[in-house]
Amino acid sequence: MFQFINTLLIGITAGSIYSLMAIAIVLVWRSTRVINFAQGGLALASSFVGAAVLEKTGSFWVSLPIAMIAGAIFSAAIEFFFLRPLLKRSGEKEQEIFLPIIATLGLLGIIKTVLNFIYGDRIGVITPPLSDKGFVISGESIALSPMRLLILGTVVVLMVVLTLIFQRTNLGLSLRASSFAPEISRLAGVRVDLIRTVGWAISGAAGATAGILQTTNGSGSISPESFEFSLLLVFGFVAAVIGGIESLVGAVLGGLTLGIILSIILMYVGGSLVFFAAFLILILVLLLRPQGIIGAKGGRRA
Amino acid sequence: MVAVHKRQITNKHRFIGFALIALVVYILSNIVDEWRSFQGATVAVYVVAIASIILLTGYSGQISLGHGALLAVGAYSAAIAQINFKLPLLLCFVVAVIATSLFGALLGAAAARLSGPYLAGTTLALAVGLPSIANQFSILGGEQGISFDVGWPPMSFGAEFTQYKWFFWIATLAALISMWWVQNILRSRYGRTWRAVKTNEVAAELSGINIGRSKVLAFTVSSGIAGLAGALLAMTTNNVSPSVFPLALSFSLATGAVLSGVNTLGGVIIGSVALVAIPEIASLVADRWSGSESVATLLPDLIVSALLILTVFLAPKGPIEKLRSRHSK
Repeated sequence: MFQFINTLLIGITAGSIYSLMAIAIVLVWRSTRVINFAQGGLALASSFVGAAVLEKTGSFWVSLPIAMIAGAIFSAAIEFFFLRPLLKRSGEKEQEIFLPIIATLGLLGIIKTVLNFIYGDRIGVITPPLSDKGFVISGESIALSPMRLLILGTVVVLMVVLTLIFQRTNLGLSLRASSFAPEISRLAGVRVDLIRTVGWAISGAAGATAGILQTTNGSGSISPESFEFSLLLVFGFVAAVIGGIESLVGAVLGGLTLGIILSIILMYVGGSLVFFAAFLILILVLLLRPQGIIGAKGGRRA
Repeated sequence: MVAVHKRQITNKHRFIGFALIALVVYILSNIVDEWRSFQGATVAVYVVAIASIILLTGYSGQISLGHGALLAVGAYSAAIAQINFKLPLLLCFVVAVIATSLFGALLGAAAARLSGPYLAGTTLALAVGLPSIANQFSILGGEQGISFDVGWPPMSFGAEFTQYKWFFWIATLAALISMWWVQNILRSRYGRTWRAVKTNEVAAELSGINIGRSKVLAFTVSSGIAGLAGALLAMTTNNVSPSVFPLALSFSLATGAVLSGVNTLGGVIIGSVALVAIPEIASLVADRWSGSESVATLLPDLIVSALLILTVFLAPKGPIEKLRSRHSK
């Protein structure tokens, strides 16, 4: 029982990070109907910025916002310089659907090369600002540590901020409108192109946060060839699909679900099956409930 | 979009073309050194692998970012056939094709219901997830992997005949056979069905094509070819382990397909040669203009990624189509 609760706690922490990545993917999907396969690379680049700032200032609380801003700028730049011209050119033709995917793959390669060039064999270090020793309850140490609390807290705060932006501000209304009906929004005076870039920027910030939290929750260091960030992308994608890929709430639920399932598998079945399990979960969701756990009905997604 | 040819290219012409390629490779294999033979073998492996992607994406309209995983299935089944069942070499390749086709049929049944980005993400998840299974089952040999050994060339070829030259021959023969087969199937009823489904799903369905079946079949065929490529790749590395099939392999195969022009099977040689030649050219360039070692190791990736983006922007249908359309203007 005790072990099971610990497994759940680990799963929820990991899952909340996947949620952030899923949110990043969902935001990009909603604004441009593209899956950004460079999202993991972007998170990695922003985490490196965070690590550099941490090294200079010594403060985690300075480095996290700066990494988020960096992530937003990177992401918006990608949308502005690459995706926008590409989508303008290929228009709405179905056959060209794989071009954005390939373009984001190329960007991923370039991001990795640039990071490699700057950092080489060195690694970026992000030391957790709080203790990652578990709280002690009745003599036994549980898997909930101040650091894990901080991760959960950060994720919750971001969710609240995002929800407020989306539900209570004009910007949020424009974001929702231009993903729902771009042409009509344009007629109504929404600057859809600008709004799309903003969507990508928010997504970049969310991805950066996911990257930094993932690093502090994991090994504490990052390298340009990090496999962890490819995993983060895949888990984020799976979480987004579980949540129905359109909904932010769905992304959060999807991330938590995935985190808990994977944590249980890790604990009780076998460590090396975790990656493959993510694939199986993805397939199962796409076949059995392609609209995700949130969407009640909705059109054919898959 | 009916292309009017002045002279119809028949199967006889194509056969002559294939024979000429075989002849050129035969002559090449006799004059080049060990290292070039190895590179030649690698090019042939890439030809097979990229052809399987082109068949899937260019003709059936399904995207795969995880073909490396299918190669892994082929390689592991060939190695297991050899180690555990002691099958002769030729049968190992056959087993690789059949096993991967079956795997692909299962995967294709799921994939047929997914469209573009979903399929891309799913295959990506497969490429990330599948290799790590090797650690779970002892028959797959964990991180060290298991060996796949095609053996020395037959004695009758003479003592001069080197191992890499033997790889070169096997891989080229396999590439020629599979390319012959692929180009035939693409011209057959099935190939036309795939293209019809890709071009307009609704129209295809109205003309009586079973869309699901057509997509699953394409996935199965593509997987079988990818399995062959995997077994060939295992031959050149002599070893089958998760590290032979990293995510980067899947990405470079997708890259190769895009550089080849994903809609034209004939371009497959461009992408394959590019994947092998770019690292070499890059290291030459880095040696000449910069002493820095990091430049030499990073330049290939940078060139490949930059080429990928340039292709997407400048020649989205691939270099061959680009030339063709310029020619006809």
